This record gives sequence, C-alpha cells and structure tokens, in this order.
Amino acid sequence: MKQKDIQKEDNILFVGIDLGTSRSSISASNSKREWIESYVGWPKDFISQQVIGKLVLFGSEALNNRLSVDLCRPLERGVIKEGIEKSEDAVKEIIKHLIELAKPESAQKIYAVVGVPADTLKINKLAIRKAVSECVHSLMVVTEPFAVAYGMNLLNNSLVIDIGAGTTDFCIMHGTIPSEEDQKTIFNAGDYVDEQLYSYLSERYPNSRFNRNMVRQFKEQYSFVREVSDEIHVEIPVDGKPVMHDIKNEVRRACESIMPALIETTTEMIARFDPEFQVKIKNNIVLAGGGSLIRGIREYLQDALKEYGPCNVSCVQDPLFAGSDGALKLAQDMPPKYWEPL
Amino acid sequence: MISILLRKRELKVREAIIRGVYEENLKIIGKYNGIISKERSFSLKKMFLTFVISVAAIFMHVNYLSPSSFFPENQVTANIIIQRPVTLPVDPDNPSDYRTFISNQKVPLSRMFGLGVRTIMIDPGHGGADTGTMGKMGTKEKDITLDIAKRLRDRLKKYGHYNVLMTREQDMTIPLNKRVELAGLSKADLFISVHLNYLPSKPINIIETYYFGPPSDAKTLKLAEQENAGSQYGLSDFKEMIEKIGETLKLQESKEFAASIQKNLFLNIKKETGYAYDFGIKRAPFVVLLGVDVPAVLAEVSCLSNREEEMKLNTESHRENVAHYLEAGILDYLNKGETRNEAKRHTERR
Repeated sequence: MKQKDIQKEDNILFVGIDLGTSRSSISASNSKREWIESYVGWPKDFISQQVIGKLVLFGSEALNNRLSVDLCRPLERGVIKEGIEKSEDAVKEIIKHLIELAKPESAQKIYAVVGVPADTLKINKLAIRKAVSECVHSLMVVTEPFAVAYGMNLLNNSLVIDIGAGTTDFCIMHGTIPSEEDQKTIFNAGDYVDEQLYSYLSERYPNSRFNRNMVRQFKEQYSFVREVSDEIHVEIPVDGKPVMHDIKNEVRRACESIMPALIETTTEMIARFDPEFQVKIKNNIVLAGGGSLIRGIREYLQDALKEYGPCNVSCVQDPLFAGSDGALKLAQDMPPKYWEPL
Repeated sequence: MISILLRKRELKVREAIIRGVYEENLKIIGKYNGIISKERSFSLKKMFLTFVISVAAIFMHVNYLSPSSFFPENQVTANIIIQRPVTLPVDPDNPSDYRTFISNQKVPLSRMFGLGVRTIMIDPGHGGADTGTMGKMGTKEKDITLDIAKRLRDRLKKYGHYNVLMTREQDMTIPLNKRVELAGLSKADLFISVHLNYLPSKPINIIETYYFGPPSDAKTLKLAEQENAGSQYGLSDFKEMIEKIGETLKLQESKEFAASIQKNLFLNIKKETGYAYDFGIKRAPFVVLLGVDVPAVLAEVSCLSNREEEMKLNTESHRENVAHYLEAGILDYLNKGETRNEAKRHTERR
C-alpha cells in the first residue's frame, strides 16, 4: 500500500524484465505484460532497409526477414559472428523495445529489475547494466531463477530449476539471497535439445531439407519425454516436394537427452544441504522456463528422484512470464531508498 | 498468534533478501563499502610445501643440464628479440658433446626434429569452490578465466587443424593434479593456463607470463604458493616430477612459448587500454607447469585489483580481445615467430 502511494506520488513505472536467451518478457506495474523472441535484426544494407521499412526488427519479425538482416541473438554464445559490440547493442535494443511495449507515460520514471541467465550475470553484469541503464532511471539486475523464486514466494527450502534455451539454472532458496554455492548452471537446455534433434533427424532423413529454425519449431510444438499417445508427423521438403516425416522417436530421444544431467545436478544440489533440509527441499522443487513445457518432464524428474526418498515436483503456471512477474514483484517490494543510488 | 509470528518471520526473510539484492547491485557499480575483495591466505603448511618445491627445483637446477641456458639471471621480457638459431659442431662419437649440444642449442628441439603441435590444452585457472582472486565489484577470477579460455578455444578451433581441449568447461573444482593428468591423457602438445593477477597495494594492471623454474623473487614464490594450493600432490609425486624437469625440450619450448604469449598480450593490451605494465616472462614453480610434460606456460592476462581493468573484464569485447591476443601469441610461437605481433592485423589477414 505504502509502495503504491509512492508510485502514485512520484509517477514511477515499475517493470520486471526477463532477458532470456530465447525469449524476453516484461511485466509492468501498469498491468502490461508483453514478450518477444530475443532476436534483433538490423537491415543489411540500404536496399533491405527500404524493403523492410524499419531500422531494426525484433523477435519473429527479425527471424522471418533473416535473409535481409544482420541477425543477433545477444545472450547466446557462439552465434554472434560479427563482433561482440553488436550483442551489447542488441541487448539495448531489446530492453528499449520491451519498455516501449509496456507503454510508459511520457513523464514516468522507470524503475526496473532485470532477470538474466545466471551464467551471463557472472561476467557480463556491467555490460548488462550499461546496456539497460540507458533506457531506465534506476536498475537492479538479478538471476532468472531467483526472480522466479521470489515471484512465487519460494523464499525458503525450495529448489527452482529454470530450463531455458542456453542454460538450465538451479537455485536453492533458504531464506537469504542465494549465494554462488546455492546456484548452478548446466548447458543441457533447449539449444542442446535442438542440436540433438537436428543431428537425429539428419541421420534418419539425410535427403530431407530442414534447418535449425525448423527443428526448434518442431521441438517447441511436440516436445515430450517418456511416451505420448499421439503420432508426430511434420512436413519437410525432399527434392523440393513436401513430404510427411515421422519424428516421434527423434523428438523423444532429443528431449530425454537433457534428463541425466538434470537429475544428477538436482541430486547433487540437494545433497549439499543438511539432511533435515533435504527433505523439505525435495518436496518443493519447481520447474520453470520454456523447458518446463516439455510434456511429461515433471513426472520424469519426480519418479527419478523418488529413488532418493519422497519428493514433489511442480511446474510454474506461466513459464513465459514467471521471471518477469517475479522481477516486477521484487521491484515493487524494493524500498525507495534502495533505488536512489542505482 | 502463530500466523502473525509466521508472517513477521516471512517479512524479515523478505527484507533480508531485498537488502541482499540491493547490496549485490551496489557491488556491480562499485558503490558497496563492505569488504569484499578476498586476499589469499598464506598458511604455514602451504609455505612449507612451496619451500619443498622450491628447494627441489633449485636442486634440479644445480644438477641437471647447463643451468645458464635454462634460467638466465636476467629476466627475459616480452619486448626482446628472440635470437635466431645458432648451430654448434658436434662430435658424434663423444656422448658428452650431445649434452653440450643440447644444453647450448638455441634452436628449439621440437623444430630441429620437425615435431608439430596437434593438441592444445587450455586450462582456465581455478573453478568451483576455488574462486581464485576477486575484484571489488565481485568479479571472480574463475569466471573470467573460463570465459577467456572458451573464446580462445573457439578461435583456435576455427583453423581446423588443432585439437583444442580444456581442463574444465564449466564452473567446477578441478585439483591441479587432475589438470596435469588431463593434459597427459589427452596427449597435449601445448599447455596454457589462464589466470588473473591481484596486486592489493598498487592500482596498476600488470601482464606477466610464467614457465617452470625456480622462483626469481619472493613475490613469484608467494604467487606460486597461491596457485599451487589444492594441487593434491604428495611429496613423492613432486620428487618424481622434478626429476623429469631435465627434459630439455620442455624447458626450451616453454620459455619461447612464454615469450611469445607475453609479447602479444602486453603489446596489444597496452595499445588497447594504454595502462598496462610489462612484467615480462618469469620462472616459477607452479605445479600445473611442472607436471605437464610438454611446453607449458601460465599467463596472468590481467589484474583484477585494478578497478578499470575489472570493469573492462566485465565486457565481452575486452575478454574477446584478450583471447585474441593469446591466440596471436600461440600462433606466433607455432609459426616460429613469423606471425606479426599485433592480433588485430592478424585478423585482417584471415
């Protein structure tokens, strides 16, 4: 209540931003919630700029015009081929665009909490602050799984597993801000599944023409572990002709490829704690991020962990906005004096 | 009543977490006043261990092949021009002549016998529970070294003819003996360990590169002690490894390799930032260098105690540049010094 009064008085718009490898979202205190795919594209030359009619494209629009733009997925290592400054510019553009989507009033100050992948934050914190601070009046940066935990009120005895595109981040909450020992990052995540699926499909259908973007779409539409009753057939061109392909087995194998590392890291993280807390944490495991949408993943993990005693795994309701909602909650709970120096 | 108490407790937890977030962000922008920089402790046990290594190394230094050719009194800096090959006459019937030949030989033995480099092992310093040194903003050595090492790996892989491996690809604890073991198992031909320096008393950025040998000064000895912590080697292991140090090939090559890395790192960082100091190549009894059988160096690529440098290390572009300079140093060494020094020019050529 107090915070709301301050918000009214000072005309501040609080925003929570989830800056993800694959998707980025914003939740604002004016109830706006928006998301884009974390792609930025700049027209390659004057002609493409004339054709596109914009100086910069975002998300799916950038992807759809990828042949005529310099495409950048800024928080992904290895994809950027044309220098690093571009990725910093791309982060800036994404934040600017997300804030525009939140439609702040012209005189409003923007106070933002930005959640970024845990590994990105370790070594890029200043770059991220620099990229974001131009677009906001005050800023705090946190890790994505922590933002999710805060938003869901999982402040004590819980484990958040954020399965993103580039990384899977683990974060144990035990009543304080998680230290480095409470967090771990592995690279078995969405992009890894894409790579596996691409390789399995290439092996099974060597004459079919598909690219990594198509493979990503197959994964997002059909991903599952263990068993599902429905058949999975997709259309892939062979010698120019559209041909239906059965990809069910490949999708399952690719999705299950991340599970051993996921289970091993989960047990390793929990085992670090006192046995009394281990039981509590095991009963409060939450899956977040796009990976939590893989059908059957919750049951798979829960059954695998049962070997170590009873446990309960749940999934966040809205993985797309869980991070940005948590970041917004943190922004709104932050005392005004904390915003001043930042 | 219980619910009120629970609510109060939850509020307290929430407040503590919010304060934690605030302090973390103050650290990032360098406004946090708490003591966060971590200096390494120098325990008696570690001092003893270092003393043993140093004594053993000096023992070897006296007993093995001509010491003057391996550990010259004057420190070699990156700026000097490395002398070109000078061959000496050898009497094939006199075995002692071979020893003289080897010890005085200015031509690296690997080149004399046409030995190539196929596998390069990059060792990102520290990792996991061993954070290494830490800057005032909270930047950890282990994170920066891992990132630079990955960038260096990607750069070297692009050439297509090197098998580039890393001792760790994630934030994990790997004892020094394991790193040495990995280099041996993978049959690495070249080994480079990437580290960051910390000078609490001076706000400067120094660049220095080490190869194995007795320490040249007290500071180097202390640094070796810090880097050797957690090696998990026993004294008998040390003895065995030190006996191996007579391997001339490794010594010759490591020194030249160190000079090449140092030259490329310093010249380019100085050009880029304008404030780097050249501390040259040095000898030090680092376990990770001693245990590896092939040319091996430990590069202190930057100085985390320097605030400006810490800020720069937090940008991708600077880390990419450092990886680039290391790449140039490695290629310069592999291409017998024919590669031009400046990494930027090197890129233009590709």
